[in-house]
Amino acid sequence: MTKTINASGVGTAINRVEGHLKVMGKAKYATEFPVENKVYGQGINSTIAKGEIISIDTSEAEKLDGVLKIITYKNAEKLKDFDKEMTPIATDTIAPVLQSNKVHYYGEYVGLVVAETFEQAQYAASLVKFEYKKDPSAVIDFEKSKSKAYTPDNGSNYSRGNMEQGLSEADSVVEQTYNTPIEHHHPMELHAVIASWDNGKVTAYSSQQIVEDAKIAISGTFQIPKKDVRVISAFVGGGFGSKLNLDRHVIMGVMASKMVGRPVQVTVTRTQMFTNTNMRQQNEQKIRVGAKKDGTLTALSHETLSHTATNQEYQEPCGMVSKMLYKVPNNEVTYKLIPMNIQVPFAMRAPGEATGSFALESAMDEMAWKLKMDPLEFRIKNDTQTDLHENRPFSSRLLVECLRIGADKFGWKDRKPEPRTNKKGNWLIGYGVSAASRNSPYQKTHSKVILKLDEDKVFATIQMDATDIGTGSYTIIAQTASEYLKIPVEQVSVELGDSDFPITPGSGGSWGAASYCNGARAACENAIKTLKNNGNIAEDEEVAVSELLKKNQLTKFEAEGMAEPSAEFAKYSVFSFGANFCEVWVDKDTGMYRIEKMVNVASAGKILNPKTAYGQIIGGLTMGVGMVMAEQTHVEPNFGNFITRSFADYHVPVNLDMANIDVIFLPEEDKVANKMGIKGIGELGITSVAASIANAIFNATGKRMRSLPITPEKLIVAGLEPGITA
Amino acid sequence: MKEDDKFKEEVNLDKLSDDENIILDAMGLNGSNRRKFLKQVSMFSLGLYASSIFTSEIFADTMKDLPENARVLLNEVMVNLRVNKVVKPITIDSRTSLLDALRERLALTGTKKGCDHGQCGACTVIIDGKRNLSCLTLAATCEGKEITTVEGLANNGEMHPMQQAFLKHDGFQCGYCTPGQICSSVALLEEAKNGEASYVTEDLKTIKSGLTLSEEEIRERMSGNICRCGAYNNIVQAFKEVHTGNEEMPTWEFATQEQMDNAKNA
Amino acid sequence: MRPFKYTGAQNKDQALQAFTATSHYLGGGTNLVDLMKEDVERPDQLIDINNLDYKKITSNENGGLTLGGMLSNSETANHPEVRTNYPLLSMAMLSAATAQIRNMASNGGNLLQRTRCPYFFEVSMPCNKREPGSGCGALNGMNALHAIFGYSDSCIATNPSDMCVALAAIGATVEVQQTDGSSRMIAFTDLHRLPGDRPEKDTTLMQGELITAIHLSEPEFADHYYYLKIRERSSYAFALVSVAAGLQVKSGVITKVGLAMGGVAHIPWKLTKAEAFLAGKKPTSENFEAAAALEMKDAKPFEANTYKVEMGKNAIVRALTQAYERTV
Repeated sequence: MTKTINASGVGTAINRVEGHLKVMGKAKYATEFPVENKVYGQGINSTIAKGEIISIDTSEAEKLDGVLKIITYKNAEKLKDFDKEMTPIATDTIAPVLQSNKVHYYGEYVGLVVAETFEQAQYAASLVKFEYKKDPSAVIDFEKSKSKAYTPDNGSNYSRGNMEQGLSEADSVVEQTYNTPIEHHHPMELHAVIASWDNGKVTAYSSQQIVEDAKIAISGTFQIPKKDVRVISAFVGGGFGSKLNLDRHVIMGVMASKMVGRPVQVTVTRTQMFTNTNMRQQNEQKIRVGAKKDGTLTALSHETLSHTATNQEYQEPCGMVSKMLYKVPNNEVTYKLIPMNIQVPFAMRAPGEATGSFALESAMDEMAWKLKMDPLEFRIKNDTQTDLHENRPFSSRLLVECLRIGADKFGWKDRKPEPRTNKKGNWLIGYGVSAASRNSPYQKTHSKVILKLDEDKVFATIQMDATDIGTGSYTIIAQTASEYLKIPVEQVSVELGDSDFPITPGSGGSWGAASYCNGARAACENAIKTLKNNGNIAEDEEVAVSELLKKNQLTKFEAEGMAEPSAEFAKYSVFSFGANFCEVWVDKDTGMYRIEKMVNVASAGKILNPKTAYGQIIGGLTMGVGMVMAEQTHVEPNFGNFITRSFADYHVPVNLDMANIDVIFLPEEDKVANKMGIKGIGELGITSVAASIANAIFNATGKRMRSLPITPEKLIVAGLEPGITA
Repeated sequence: MKEDDKFKEEVNLDKLSDDENIILDAMGLNGSNRRKFLKQVSMFSLGLYASSIFTSEIFADTMKDLPENARVLLNEVMVNLRVNKVVKPITIDSRTSLLDALRERLALTGTKKGCDHGQCGACTVIIDGKRNLSCLTLAATCEGKEITTVEGLANNGEMHPMQQAFLKHDGFQCGYCTPGQICSSVALLEEAKNGEASYVTEDLKTIKSGLTLSEEEIRERMSGNICRCGAYNNIVQAFKEVHTGNEEMPTWEFATQEQMDNAKNA
Repeated sequence: MRPFKYTGAQNKDQALQAFTATSHYLGGGTNLVDLMKEDVERPDQLIDINNLDYKKITSNENGGLTLGGMLSNSETANHPEVRTNYPLLSMAMLSAATAQIRNMASNGGNLLQRTRCPYFFEVSMPCNKREPGSGCGALNGMNALHAIFGYSDSCIATNPSDMCVALAAIGATVEVQQTDGSSRMIAFTDLHRLPGDRPEKDTTLMQGELITAIHLSEPEFADHYYYLKIRERSSYAFALVSVAAGLQVKSGVITKVGLAMGGVAHIPWKLTKAEAFLAGKKPTSENFEAAAALEMKDAKPFEANTYKVEMGKNAIVRALTQAYERTV
């Protein structure tokens, strides 16, 4: 019975352990818990970009049957407010709401209606009348407000060597500006909460990526002890960064519950998802790159101009990738922010790399074209095994392998270097490549394992406050326990997403898999070690965990564990690397294009489960395709609202937009990264898509598209690059 | 060993916890159906059921109809909703969408609210054999209609082949669009059988019943179900496998040592 | 959503009797229910006409087909007679929305689809169509998706329907039932109206009129047809520009042309000049280009939608070419 190796441990492509619940509609997301006696809250949004509320008329709404409460700044609970102007946003930031008559952006919450039914709450919300005094100084136009930009005081500006000297040494210089628009995460599950306030104790069934930080934010906002807050996020219907922090609807829900004495369900509408949850801000990135004739890079600068809110600060680290990806001695990275009357931006999948690599990897392609070099060889020539930014080695870096293996699989040798020479009927065909990189952090993680002996079998339960936002956490944690306890995965149960469980860093920033699995491993190892010690068994002796329990005369045993980065970790730069190859067919007349195929190579440490890892890669690629094809949120130039206000306006990719994708994982275990050799993979995919498609479009059409998204309307009027003939 | 005994041993059917038994009861599974279901999930972590969150709270059918508080329902409409072969008479506000009736009144939360405006497909259910959007369907209009939600696809506890295929091919990540994707896929099987056309169908004039859909056709016809996690390729594989009966192979691989060496030494 | 009374009508008479000035008929609901959720449409009564017996496709005396007003878009597009004889209509209808929405949407409802202009949808914005006299937000706002033909200072919105573009190309007559029990026929090209100074009125229908049927004349474009839809993603998106093209070619000469555009005007934009130009000419790319140029020279784009001129020209040529070269 004590088979020690099983076919379900780390590295095997088992089905998701929670999958049957999802395909049967049994997985419970935030608002699906059967909370008795609940009522419905509906947020109300401001209709000016800046100014003050001068009067509120709730009379019509109050008259409605079933309306229990209308909350505005006039009667809201007093909450903790920010201590200073321009507070940087973090994952545990407080979320004060309805605290004053000031309006900072169009769509800011100005009220909440609580009613017996969802229908009545929504209707009543439309009847509350606000009168505003509009402040004409609202900053809503990015282009016209550049003079207002300031340098954020977060030490992110950087330089090494001498940029100007580097440029003077170059034989060729490319200097171009790349634009990316406001984008929205739009997870399929609307942000939502069922919040209960019960004698000072808060329970929130909320869709969150990091339950511990949500708990901190609730306790901080209401100034109540952390122990009195419980956050449950058993299943999260997608996050992509939008659920990293706690959004204000949760605070409104808790407040409303306190005021009406019943649990309150607040669902953010899809339109509110634009204004009241996170977004990626518009970026204008200027790249200057210099190279010798032989392709040796001499200089690279990356200047980013973005915007932030007028009362909170966020800076996407777009220049990150330019600091570390290539061997370039002279390097400069700068940031500027325009305070605008738009909500504060925050991290969206691969913040920094997704947008930054579009700029850098497009510029690299432009330089390769200018030097008449193969863009693949140009990148390989400038590879570095040292992170010149941190001045330390990479824990592992297989970028060249990614590029070469991908090129073989893709058939890169068939690429025609000259644009507009690969044609088929009405189609212009192009190939493009981009390198991928993404920081792979790993953070302190706690977990608990509960072992139960039942006859000869050990059943294990792992508990941690980790979340599974679609990333496969349940599955890879179960596989980890299976591996380290040497029991079949069927005997492992995983319980996540409850802030009563041991603390983890949650899901985000590509740290989830490494942190969670090492945390679970630590608990399992502790359990075995303790059982061996207590049972006087040598540590190196191979004994089945069932035997260990028996020897200790136990039928139940619990152990906790903690994993954190080693001292060694700090001596290295830990990144995942990859490459994306793309074949694009552009219709010469309509400007529509289709992605014919993609090959993606990922070097992301130990692949815990190729099935879920593949999902992460194609997921990143799909979101990247959206970023290139159509995703953008427009600010209305006269009013400052998002005129892109629904899923019919904001085009995320559909099934037909996607192509066949081959994914190749490099066999790699990065033992510097952590004991299990795991690196992040959830964001790696998206970092290389935009440039690979834009570069393929150039190869197909001779049109250099430096502004995302690349829509038919832009493509059709874009001119050819100098020297290219139709 | 008889297969049943072997299976018993595998999943320890006699040793299920109380919680697990409660859940299986709540799912209406007993006897051989219970066994069948467990067999399907035995590849996965049964233990999931044993969690406090995943048991009583999840499966308990405690969500009752709204309290007897008729004054909050405006323009009341009495409607007999026939959902998953069970008729449930409820009194609703005329404004109530079928989606909200399912989720907030009948505790059938498998059907998801992704946009509430007909722009994502997460709320897809099958009405009288056709896939429809429950968010734009007023519940009041559903009298006499046969509604199937994701919860009604399994047959006596045995997952619908499409559900099994989604599981096998990882046709989801977060799982939120999944019920809609699966309802849509199940309806699409019938549309293909009936010979229905799509915008990418080459020949509209001679199209016949019993279609075998190309990958492009599948993608176009499944484009009404948005998956923000980007599991489209896996969804296509899952659909294809059920549609054609041929096994679909994964499109991931590991680089070989030879490839690694060649790349390094190139 | 505002409260409303739900009235289920079992037949035409019940529906017409129940009608009041503030009522709406409820068909598939794919547009109406959405707009009610947005607080754009505010009826105080919905008369459910889904049980009315306008769900058939029959042959008519003109040698054509009559499509029931309450038949779903998917049943219409997939009907063997429609696919065989009016494939241009099938193709256009199948390009619209998604399978789910086509299963729900009715033919009558499709004809009455309202614009996708975001100023129309967002009640905090000015919009003359939604709230006469409030102004047109798009005129000096975001208008990349707006009209290039036939707009006014009051409204620059476009009609979003694909089905209507095909019907404009093919030609049809719409039968409507009036509240007094009588019925009347409206030429399809007379159904929709340009915005002028009454943009709140999308069509020439009178209050309470119910579309019961669409009569198609004898099929003319069963062999040479194409519906081209240019959009920001490959499916499930409204057209930036679309073109419905039908040709009849005999002995190498074009004998009949049906040509209309979507996404460019407040109405499905019938390309009468191009039709007249091409009739009697050879189906050559030169002639297609000349026809396209003839139409597009009248375009009056805004700065943000200038692209529609080039795109529209290319789309006309492409649709005509595809229609002509079609082999199946």
